[in-house]
Amino acid sequence: MNIDEWENRIIDYIDGNLEGEGRIALEQELAKREAVFHLYQQYLVVIEAMDRSRELEPSTRLKASFEKTIKEEMLRKPEGKVISIQPVFFRAAAAIALVVSGVAIGFWITKNQQQQQEMLALRKEVEATKDLMQSMLQNEGSASQRLQGVTVALQMEKADDDVVNALVKAMNEDANSNVRLAALDALSKFQAEPAVRKALVKSLSTQKDPIVQIALIQLMVRMKEKGVVKELERLVEDDQNMKAVKDEAYKGLLKLS
Amino acid sequence: MTDEQVMEAVKNGDLQRASVLFDRYNKRLFNFLAKMTMDRDLAEDLTQNVFLRLIRYRNSYKDGMRFQSWIYQVARNVFSDHYQANKNMKNKFTDIEKVGDSFSDSSEGFHKEEQEHLLQKSMALLNDEQRELLVLTRFQHMKYEEVAELMDTTVANIKVKVHRAIGKLREHYFQLEKI
Repeated sequence: MNIDEWENRIIDYIDGNLEGEGRIALEQELAKREAVFHLYQQYLVVIEAMDRSRELEPSTRLKASFEKTIKEEMLRKPEGKVISIQPVFFRAAAAIALVVSGVAIGFWITKNQQQQQEMLALRKEVEATKDLMQSMLQNEGSASQRLQGVTVALQMEKADDDVVNALVKAMNEDANSNVRLAALDALSKFQAEPAVRKALVKSLSTQKDPIVQIALIQLMVRMKEKGVVKELERLVEDDQNMKAVKDEAYKGLLKLS
Repeated sequence: MTDEQVMEAVKNGDLQRASVLFDRYNKRLFNFLAKMTMDRDLAEDLTQNVFLRLIRYRNSYKDGMRFQSWIYQVARNVFSDHYQANKNMKNKFTDIEKVGDSFSDSSEGFHKEEQEHLLQKSMALLNDEQRELLVLTRFQHMKYEEVAELMDTTVANIKVKVHRAIGKLREHYFQLEKI
């Protein structure tokens, strides 16, 4: 081992980190080789000088200026939090993610706007259809027009209060029997709606048109509407009703009771 | 309270708590910077700057991080920024003969004072990395593991570098002694 190679062992030895065979070998070398011992002495001086080196005391100015800094900082308005992303790769990834999400949000907004526009157009179309239907149903001069109005209602996917009220009015009050029947038929399409169901049940007690009465009874049976049992009993017992109506009411009673 | 708990409180807005960290670290950081700069007044300015950054950039402290590593990293950055801003000034203006004057203490014996002067002059001849390694491990008594964490390297690598730095210091010390 040449002299340079002993250096690491000497430092470990002085630091108290050399044990076992390494320590014994160095101690033997120190005893027999003057050059290694000289090197050891020099390291000892330097390392001891570092160990002895005193710590400096900062001046009181430091503490005073620090306290001033804290006070100033406490008076500062809070700033927006700066998010620093390290390393550069993550920064780049964050930038790309930002751009991609920006584009995605842009697409989403555009699509959303498009959907909103489509919804608006659809809503306008429905309003127009409703207006058309109501104006047709109100055409007192032409039964065929009113019939067409009911047909327009039949083509609608959903019925709101306005449509239901118009159809109920047509079913109960229209002068033409075909229009009344068509209105009943249209209402039966929306029978799942509670308002429609209620209107149909109520109509059974006020309806005077035998054809509509029979159609209504048949519909109630199909709907399994047990709430009309009492009304059916009344129809059966009321002698003013046509026999066909009473028979239909009786059949209905048998099925619903 | 641990350093980390105090720093988390500072981060959450309790700035007064920073005084606790100042009391625990100002002397150590001042000595670190004094030995790195070889200039006592400059070291005080830079130490002040370290604590200013602690307050200003408190949000950059990540919860769970070892505070000592973080504050020393801040100090290293302050030192590095100072010399970046005054590029080559140290090489041009550090007068090796005057190094150590600011560390002198007349109450010490003549021999010890001479040794201290020689040591500081030898330290000034080391490159920044070697000087920093010796300051941290020999003067600040940091463990190799702590320095390895601070410099983001292995303990073995730090040990090899520290030994080399001591070797260089020995060379400079005994060359200067002959003069």
